[in-house]
Amino acid sequence: MNGSARDRATAVLARHGTLLLFLLIIFVFGTQVPAFIGPENLGNIIKQASFIGIAAVGMVFVLLTAGIDLSVGSVMYLGPLIAGFAMRDYGVGVAGGLVVAVAAGAVMGSINAFLIVVLKVVPFIVTLSTLFFFRGFGAYLTSSRQFDFPEEIRTFGLSSVLGVPTPILFFAVVALGAHVVLSRTAFGRQVYAIGNDEAAAAKAGIRVGRVKAGVYVTCSSLAALAGFVLIAQIGRLDTGFGEGREFDVIAAAVLGGASLFGGVGTAFSAVIGATMIQAVKIGLVFTGINLYLQPMLQGLIIFAAVFLDSLRASRLEMLRRRFIRPR
Amino acid sequence: MTTLLSFQDLRKEYFGVPAVRDLTLDIRAGDVVGVIGENGAGKSTLMNMVGGVVQPTDGEMRWQGEPYRPRSPGDATARGIAFIHQELNLFTNLTIAENIFVDQFPSRFGMIDRPAMRQRTADLLQQLALDVSPDTDVDSLAPGERQLVEIAKALHRDAELIIFDEPTTSLTPRETARLFETIERLKADGKTILYISHILGDVKRLSDAIVVLRDGELVEQGAAADFDVPAMITAMIGRALGGLYPERTSEPRDDVLFSARGLTQPGILEDVSFDIRAGEILGLFGLMGSGRSEMARIVFGLDPLERGTLALQGRPLTGGVRQRIASGLAFVTEDRRAEGLLMDAAIADNLSLVAIEEFGRTPLAFLDKTRLARRTGQMQADMLIKAGDIRTQPARALSGGNQQKVVIGKWLMRHPALFILDEPTRGVDVGAKFEIYALADRLAAAGSGVLFISSELEELTGMCDRIMVMNRGEVMGGFDRAAFSDRDILAMAFGKRVPADEVAA
Amino acid sequence: MTDSGPRATVSGRDEFPAAPSVRQRAMRLFLSDYFVLYLSLAYFLVLVPFLPTLSNPANLANILSNMWPLLVVAVGQTFVLTIAGIDLSQGSVVGFTSVIGAMLLATSASPDVLSNAPIWGLIIDEAGGPLANVPGGVLVAIVAMVAAGAMIGAANGLAIAHFRMPPFMVTLVTMIVISAFAIFLTQSENIRNLPESYIQLGKGDIVSVYFGEQAESRIPRRQIHSFITYPMLIAVSVAILAHVLLNSTVFGRQVFAIGTNRRAAEISGIPVRRVIVLVFTISAICATIGALLYSTRLEAGRPTLGDGNFLLDVIGATVIGGTSLFGGKGKIIWTVFGVFFFVLLSNTLNLMNLSSFHIDMVKGAVIVAAALLDVLRTRLIRGEAS
Repeated sequence: MNGSARDRATAVLARHGTLLLFLLIIFVFGTQVPAFIGPENLGNIIKQASFIGIAAVGMVFVLLTAGIDLSVGSVMYLGPLIAGFAMRDYGVGVAGGLVVAVAAGAVMGSINAFLIVVLKVVPFIVTLSTLFFFRGFGAYLTSSRQFDFPEEIRTFGLSSVLGVPTPILFFAVVALGAHVVLSRTAFGRQVYAIGNDEAAAAKAGIRVGRVKAGVYVTCSSLAALAGFVLIAQIGRLDTGFGEGREFDVIAAAVLGGASLFGGVGTAFSAVIGATMIQAVKIGLVFTGINLYLQPMLQGLIIFAAVFLDSLRASRLEMLRRRFIRPR
Repeated sequence: MTTLLSFQDLRKEYFGVPAVRDLTLDIRAGDVVGVIGENGAGKSTLMNMVGGVVQPTDGEMRWQGEPYRPRSPGDATARGIAFIHQELNLFTNLTIAENIFVDQFPSRFGMIDRPAMRQRTADLLQQLALDVSPDTDVDSLAPGERQLVEIAKALHRDAELIIFDEPTTSLTPRETARLFETIERLKADGKTILYISHILGDVKRLSDAIVVLRDGELVEQGAAADFDVPAMITAMIGRALGGLYPERTSEPRDDVLFSARGLTQPGILEDVSFDIRAGEILGLFGLMGSGRSEMARIVFGLDPLERGTLALQGRPLTGGVRQRIASGLAFVTEDRRAEGLLMDAAIADNLSLVAIEEFGRTPLAFLDKTRLARRTGQMQADMLIKAGDIRTQPARALSGGNQQKVVIGKWLMRHPALFILDEPTRGVDVGAKFEIYALADRLAAAGSGVLFISSELEELTGMCDRIMVMNRGEVMGGFDRAAFSDRDILAMAFGKRVPADEVAA
Repeated sequence: MTDSGPRATVSGRDEFPAAPSVRQRAMRLFLSDYFVLYLSLAYFLVLVPFLPTLSNPANLANILSNMWPLLVVAVGQTFVLTIAGIDLSQGSVVGFTSVIGAMLLATSASPDVLSNAPIWGLIIDEAGGPLANVPGGVLVAIVAMVAAGAMIGAANGLAIAHFRMPPFMVTLVTMIVISAFAIFLTQSENIRNLPESYIQLGKGDIVSVYFGEQAESRIPRRQIHSFITYPMLIAVSVAILAHVLLNSTVFGRQVFAIGTNRRAAEISGIPVRRVIVLVFTISAICATIGALLYSTRLEAGRPTLGDGNFLLDVIGATVIGGTSLFGGKGKIIWTVFGVFFFVLLSNTLNLMNLSSFHIDMVKGAVIVAAALLDVLRTRLIRGEAS
């Protein structure tokens, strides 16, 4: 019987799987194309990861409560769009636009939260519906046409502070902010408690509904912010913007170590996951693999991450098994 | 001394069946009160009323002289009542400090005031002599340490009354000793303790006063000094037992039907061996946490087994659940709702669940619905299941006793050779209990073997041909029907391999 | 569809007293299997005065023809939802298998379109696919499609049943991987020039209705409306087969048992893993048959055939019918009505000249409403039982 050796290998894989996967990816691409690990390229990876990354930080909040939010792709579209109208028609400026985008995201998050917390419809169905609803509303506002932002937004989007590009700056601030909230505030710790055992959380006197609502509002706000940061670099908004991105966002969070079963994950999960996905994307471009094959490889990497997550979950279940005599 | 908590004609009924009947009792401040009784005697219901988990049907509770009607566990907590459940209510992904403060974090400028939280937690842990950092994840704590964290939570909230429900179940002897020291210390600080346990020696040692419940009624109370363990057992078992059990209609046969040899699973079972003969009802008695249900799960193939062999009708019993069912095993689980029944499915669908493949007509396994309806109908009549239309009525709508008959019935459809009945009469009223006993006798008379697992000794002595006793995952010994003695069996369940007089001393 | 005596078929609710009050009648209606059908008919009748074109034979034929492919796919999803799973990969299976069928059967292909595709020269070239003009080739191609679909479904099932991975993520990954692979195969191009006998499956009529000469000079000159078509036959057969499978076989009982309480099913000796694998395989095979109908109607194999809103339509139609996302509760007939309602809804929104985005908005709202109804219904049934 080599049960215990196998157990230990599984344990290592389950705990450090993501990191091992990440190193493997860097290693594979690095040996294939040395330029891949150049500082310029690494900076580029992080910059491009910031879009999915910011939204994935929000998704981590939701996943921590064992929920899910499929509507982020549409929120990424509608949030900045409303901000665009405010900038164009009311001249609120870029800073004002940013605030409007995030506020619009918060409103959309409240709609999700209302349906989930008050009406008790499952998050999957709620956010699947609002996915279409928000995008439809945006298309109604634009009559399904491309929306051009005032030129000033690109000046903002392409700017940098002390050599750090604005998107990276936002990504860093959001990730750090989320980390502080999750690890240093009552709200954050209660999010973890709910994900660990929702029934126990209710029994312990945590206001579960309120915390869960906060989680969905946070997720949508950050999705809207993510959209705004990317739009600021492009300057226009197509009706298809953000479509299908919810899956990238969820994948990034899970890849980084957030569990779909709740209670596990940190703000940095999103950073690692999003960076990993972007590294793979850029790496595949470097190696010149057929453009259409790339999503396949990404899919397989996500599969590996989910597999590790299930492994971790079943190990946790084993550990919870009660012992009645000392081992 | 003043009265902290009092009950006046307190009553709780579930679906019309009383679990606690017109109970009147005063709990004095500063006492450790041991609450004992068999399973189903009403201890948990009483404590759940105090803890605000369930509300009384009738009667009144008073807390420090004021009427006390908690609507939720939160109300109880706010009054200063802490309830330490058998299943701990901790978040394993948070630290000790966070678990203690989880509903109300101290904050400064919106941030958790970690130094203050850490300091307070360190003080609490020191009071409890738990020498770990407040920042330790609960995940990494041993069961005994986790329990101390629950106690720290109670202290943090300035609980006046702390209820312990079977606290030593998953503790090692050293952890148990530490818990008792802690309880002594709490008592010295003037806290009031309600201590529920099956381990009568512990109850006697810890308590100032002892309360004995039976069938939802208060049957005896007094100073702990006035009780000894045999007296406690007598009080728990109580009245004469005539008429509660059906006559056994058959004798065990000579051939060995089932045998287990050297079953060992680290942390759960240690070298368990026994035989069951055809037509025999073998009782398996043990206290909470003795490993009785765990062993049943292992025999049925639900949980892993590291060493040991099983044989049924001379053939080795291996593989997964399906294979073991095919070999002739049947398992009535102790958790009827979660594992026994499809609560939302129709009764007929539940009855046909195990044998469903027998109703398929090849090649596409079309259901023979006529035969299915006939067989399930027969089974309903045979088992005296009181229900409406079994094809539409969901199992959820049945009483506990009838639900249990459905579970047994679904297994009977496959004519198994060995029945494992794990707490088959739990949550079942007296009348239905008799029917289930009669069923067990019928199974045995038909030549099946029955492993009857129960924490109610009375029903085992009433029904079994032999009783085997387990303690902490080991078989302590066995008794033949002629040698049944409640005291001896209980003593063995408490871990004594020698006769009961030792316990009494 | 216009079954005249639905009242008589309301079954299994005979615990009500002889003379039901209005409220009880309403309850009975609400809880009936046919509720969504009544709802659809009511919706239809209310809108007819405002949208006269709605009741045109041409439009009715259109509604029906839109219904069949969606129904086939939704039937597969019904199985999955009944065991408390979800299958997001159906759309990608539709796209992928439509490409498989088309690349085997195309009678010719243009190098301008496909010469960059990896299948060019390997499977397909100017002379078409390997099964072009081969007798019985259509059948072989269909077998190949079903085999491909079944393999994908079985892979989903294995990952879910044996590694206890969440269905949502497993089928999400399958969706990403399979649709990328389909797009890769043709480099995102469509494969056209399908043989006539294949196209018949999606377009062929068996019985059509002649409404006489048209007054205005439009093409076609005569109003001929398909009534009984091959897709109808295929879809109805699939639905009936699925109904029988779910209601009259051992397998069907096992599906319900797993959806109601997986743990109890396991302990009762139900082969839980095998059933889960089979259910996901059925779901993918249904998607494949859906691909057959969609791609023959389109007269092309298209890798993106099941992209975008397709998933919403399938899950939406199934959930509206009354199949629960929590498992243990599903009926093929519910899905038939759900699909009918969903197609009718899309059709009326189209007739109102709403944009596709508006239609999505309304669909989204309707799905939430359906989920709310389900919450309410469950509560009512629970209340009734106790």
